[in-house]
Amino acid sequence: MSHDSTEFRSGEARRYDLRSPARWVLSHVARYPWLPILALLFSIGNNVGYSGIQVLIGRGFDVLAAPAWDRAALLGVALAIAGASFLQGAAGIGRNLSFEFLAQRLERDARAELFESLLGKSMAFHAGQRLGDLMARATNDVHFLNLMFSPGLMLIADSALTTVVPLVMVALIDPRLLLVPCLFIAALFITVRAYNKRLNPLTDEQRERFGAMNAGLADALEGIETVKANLGEARETARFAADAGRLRELYVKVAKTEGRYWPLLAFAVAWGLGFLHALYLWRAGQISVGQAVGYMMLYNAFRFTTFISLFSFNLFQMGLSSAGRVLETIKARTELDENPAGRSAPIIGRVEFKDVGFSFSGAPPAGGAGVADRGGGAGMVGAAGAPGEADAAGAACIPGAAGISGESCPDRPAAVRGLSFAVEPGQTVAVVGRTGSGKTTLARLVTRVFDPCEGTVTVDGVELRDWNLQSLRSQTAAVEQDIFLFGRSIRDNIAFGRPGATEADVERAAREAQAHEFIMGFEKGYDTILGDRGLTLSGGQKQRIALARAFIADPRILILDDSTSAVDSKTEDEIQKAMRRVGRGRTTFVITHRLSQIRWADRILLLEGGRLAAQGTHEELLARSDDYRRLFARG
Amino acid sequence: MGFVMDGLESEAYDRQYGDRELLRRIGGYFKPFRGRLALVAAAIAASALSEFAAQVVISRSLDAAAADSGAARLILLSGVIIGFGAVEWLFNFARHYLSGRAVGEAIWRLRSDAFGRAMEHDLSFYDENPSGKVVSRVTTDSEDFANIIGLVVDFASQLMLVIFFFAYLTRISGRLSLYLLAMAPVAALMALGFRRLARFVTMNAKRVTAEVNARIQESIAGVSVAKAFRRERSLWEGFKDDNAKAYRFHLRRGIVMQLIFPVVALAAGFGNGFVAFTGGEAVRDGAVSLGQWFLFMQAVGYFWWPMLNIASFWSQLQDGLAAAERVFSLIDREPKVRQAGSEALPAAVAHATRAEAAATAGTVPPDRPARGLSVEFRRVNFSYSSKETVLRDFSLGIRAGEKLALVGPTGAGKSSIVKLVCRFYEFQGGELLVGGKDIRSLDLASLRGAVGLVSQDPFLFPGTVADNIRYAKPEASDEELERAARSLGRGDWVDDLPLGLATPTGHRGSSISMGQRQLVALARVLLKDPALFILDEATASVDPFTEAQIQEGLETVMEGRTAIVIAHRLSTVRFADRIVVLERGRPVEEGSHEGLLAAGGRYASLYDTYFRHQSLDYVEASRPEA
Repeated sequence: MSHDSTEFRSGEARRYDLRSPARWVLSHVARYPWLPILALLFSIGNNVGYSGIQVLIGRGFDVLAAPAWDRAALLGVALAIAGASFLQGAAGIGRNLSFEFLAQRLERDARAELFESLLGKSMAFHAGQRLGDLMARATNDVHFLNLMFSPGLMLIADSALTTVVPLVMVALIDPRLLLVPCLFIAALFITVRAYNKRLNPLTDEQRERFGAMNAGLADALEGIETVKANLGEARETARFAADAGRLRELYVKVAKTEGRYWPLLAFAVAWGLGFLHALYLWRAGQISVGQAVGYMMLYNAFRFTTFISLFSFNLFQMGLSSAGRVLETIKARTELDENPAGRSAPIIGRVEFKDVGFSFSGAPPAGGAGVADRGGGAGMVGAAGAPGEADAAGAACIPGAAGISGESCPDRPAAVRGLSFAVEPGQTVAVVGRTGSGKTTLARLVTRVFDPCEGTVTVDGVELRDWNLQSLRSQTAAVEQDIFLFGRSIRDNIAFGRPGATEADVERAAREAQAHEFIMGFEKGYDTILGDRGLTLSGGQKQRIALARAFIADPRILILDDSTSAVDSKTEDEIQKAMRRVGRGRTTFVITHRLSQIRWADRILLLEGGRLAAQGTHEELLARSDDYRRLFARG
Repeated sequence: MGFVMDGLESEAYDRQYGDRELLRRIGGYFKPFRGRLALVAAAIAASALSEFAAQVVISRSLDAAAADSGAARLILLSGVIIGFGAVEWLFNFARHYLSGRAVGEAIWRLRSDAFGRAMEHDLSFYDENPSGKVVSRVTTDSEDFANIIGLVVDFASQLMLVIFFFAYLTRISGRLSLYLLAMAPVAALMALGFRRLARFVTMNAKRVTAEVNARIQESIAGVSVAKAFRRERSLWEGFKDDNAKAYRFHLRRGIVMQLIFPVVALAAGFGNGFVAFTGGEAVRDGAVSLGQWFLFMQAVGYFWWPMLNIASFWSQLQDGLAAAERVFSLIDREPKVRQAGSEALPAAVAHATRAEAAATAGTVPPDRPARGLSVEFRRVNFSYSSKETVLRDFSLGIRAGEKLALVGPTGAGKSSIVKLVCRFYEFQGGELLVGGKDIRSLDLASLRGAVGLVSQDPFLFPGTVADNIRYAKPEASDEELERAARSLGRGDWVDDLPLGLATPTGHRGSSISMGQRQLVALARVLLKDPALFILDEATASVDPFTEAQIQEGLETVMEGRTAIVIAHRLSTVRFADRIVVLERGRPVEEGSHEGLLAAGGRYASLYDTYFRHQSLDYVEASRPEA
């Protein structure tokens, strides 16, 4: 299982080591090798400056304790302190900026990497995700990566150096004085580790619950109309309060764990013992009083380590667990079969189903032998994760989709089964049946959003799996029930269907979709911005823009899944006429409720409970199917 | 500092609070924990005092050692130092625990308040503000707000040490203490200078964060479209720009923040040198002892620490305040829809119309009392934004128990009318009466409890189909729920769901089809059994097989109820008692289907546009040219 295949690659982002969160982070850092090196050098400079000051204070003590007053020596010490301060400050600036650049770049790169990988994921993946969860990963978690470096790692590096550099200084005073600091560092190491062990699960849980709260919140706000219409405000508020309440409990737990910070106690003990040790050596005449004082002053550095490691390890842990989650998303199975070696040719348009069956759970969403997870919707114009009809278990088929093509469908209720029919190039096929009867699934089998687990689907006599995915997708388009339009101009939304489309192309497509007139009715015409910050369109208007987007792509196989439901029937009639004019020779599948579309289709497929109840022309079905007759019996 | 001032648009509802106002608001959230916070303060003071005392002991013992005291005494001193450390640890724990509880509670309250307000906002707010941004205010910003307390507590404990030191040192040498003190304004001024800058770059950084987040959210939501056309690159390009912009602004903020600390540290170092020298002279003069000189040198560290921190404290505090500001501005923004009163829709009004309803709708089953609700628009003006008026001088009366069909071209204002009846938006002029009462005087819960809305694009929550149906009436029994679901058509749609009513709906209902979503929404309303049904193209995506069945079922269910139906099908129009034709926000015709058709006016032409193509005659005649 390689992670090489993805449905999208920007060609800009680097490849990173995905084997573990730590390696992943390191491989990110490796992009800017000189930044961590600079950061390290500056950190050393900064700490040498700081520890230098402490030792110099001790030297000052000696100067003062000397029987003879030596003004020049005192001045020298004072100036040396100022110099060391300058070193500390200047190196500190360098260190901070190095880390800052590194952290910001890391956040930027990780966000880009995650975003790219999300673009590369199949539709099957997206259908199974909560938008809020993905958002939490793309925003909060990525930001924690930033904090992990600045200030997290910066402080860790700093506290490491704030330990090492003073140790060197202590050794320079008298190696024997190393005894207590070394014991202290060992104690610090043990206590900090234990502390982290307690804290880790809590911070993990904290992140997860935050994601859950976020997702619930996003649901409530997106569905605000439904909430209000059903007097759900109080219930939503209670639910949110409960979610937030769980976070509150965790917050207290974390605070409690943080408060029980044994390293602090270890420091107090070390300080007292160190003091005793220094005084002992001094009284024994082994070191000067100034050296003893310098030694005591260096404990300030250890104190810093003790305090700051609490904070920095916390950040570091959060960063690592965030990295783990981001990585998990990036690594989520995206294996799929682009099949670049597959057939790449203009589609003529003959579509044939031979005994096709498909079930959701356990079925390979798409992909050749051993390759799972395709989806992605060849030419789908559906909205976010809107798989439509009856793929309730759509999400369930993503992980561990072990099915191999040709294997019989798993022991699950099949969404469709035993479908056999053939469509000639240029024909229009109406797919009818009750909601949930498998119409959308059938359509998705044509565009290879799903691969069948039984039987075969062929286009121009070639099995879909043997087509080059790029070639197949660029020649098929589907307009699904849910329309998603981007928060961009109408022109951009339509031109989305074909890169490099000209103004004239856009307008022609809009006219065919009967959208031109209402678009021109807007003050800014095609430049009207849609969405959150722009204009809200009616359902029918959205559908027509989505149609135009599909039309401009000029697909050889077009699938319209109830895509004119909100358009008035006269307009729809016009759209149909335009489609007949423009789409001559285009194979079209129409899932519709409109009698006129059904009546004049070349072939009608009547689905019932996932099976083909009847197929044929209008006349044939009138003769064969009671259900169908009933449809045309009323008016 | 132009580089950090590059303009970024503000949110319309952002406002600048005065610091005092802001702190007062924040304080309000901690008021309930005054006692706990007082204990926190005490713990801070105690642990600071222990640390200070340990330093004094060291300084004393340096002098004592110089005076050559016994080994036992030195061991005792070490023990005292350790003892003070233990005390410090204990109080430190108390402080963490107590403040953790207070802060956790305060975030929870702030979040709940922000969420509660978000729930109160009418739909015009959500038209203007993408829900993603509101989400980040409720979750992320409220957490940043919480950091304020942690900061203040930390800072207070550092400040406390300064106070102890200063009080002690002034008694030893006023002059040296003054030198120490003189450093404070220098540090404080530097810190404060950064303050405005910090606040500004922070605000900007947060805002670009929200922008890039909104971009990601839109991209993920639209990823299927991008995949369909193999246009992932287009999303990538858009994201790349936003990401680069976010990087630039975050970096600017980062640089400002990162410079503060070392720059101030630099100044502190010079102070250190100065005190070493002047303190040395004081030792020579015999004004202070060696131990005291040591204490002074230690004090510089302790003294500068909070002064150094004052800058990062300020900037982080600004982070928190800016976050708090954003949350408060969400909480403080007034919903446009405001009720002047809280009158309930009296049951009497609903029931009084029974006779009338019975007259219009036929016989009412004895077990279900008629309780229609009248609706009257009187010269109502309405627009979503100041740009275009949707309804102008709109007047329309709907009798209790009447079935009214609204027809008209897209954009005629049909949906706007029903949204006003649901009180999702505020209208700008005229009067709207529901059940004979001014809609503004009604209790919102009472109003919405009486109205059942099914919209074109029903929203489903993640959960099961049953959960979603029950949403309208949480207390409904399983039988009731099942009955409501089965009363749609013959209930076949339930059996078509893979797991029946237990079928999961997925994100926004993505696991079931649009038609099924509409059926769920219809079942939801049936369970609610409202006095006023509002069906906004409620069966547009339902297949014709099921739709025919539903129509019969709905007629039974809505008997005696008022119904406003935005019609999209011939069958729906025919079922109405009265048809009102709308154009550009005005009723232009009304009457029965036959009457209007015969009149040959707008309806006739609309019929031609919307419905004629649905009649079998037309279908038969519409054979496409070969």
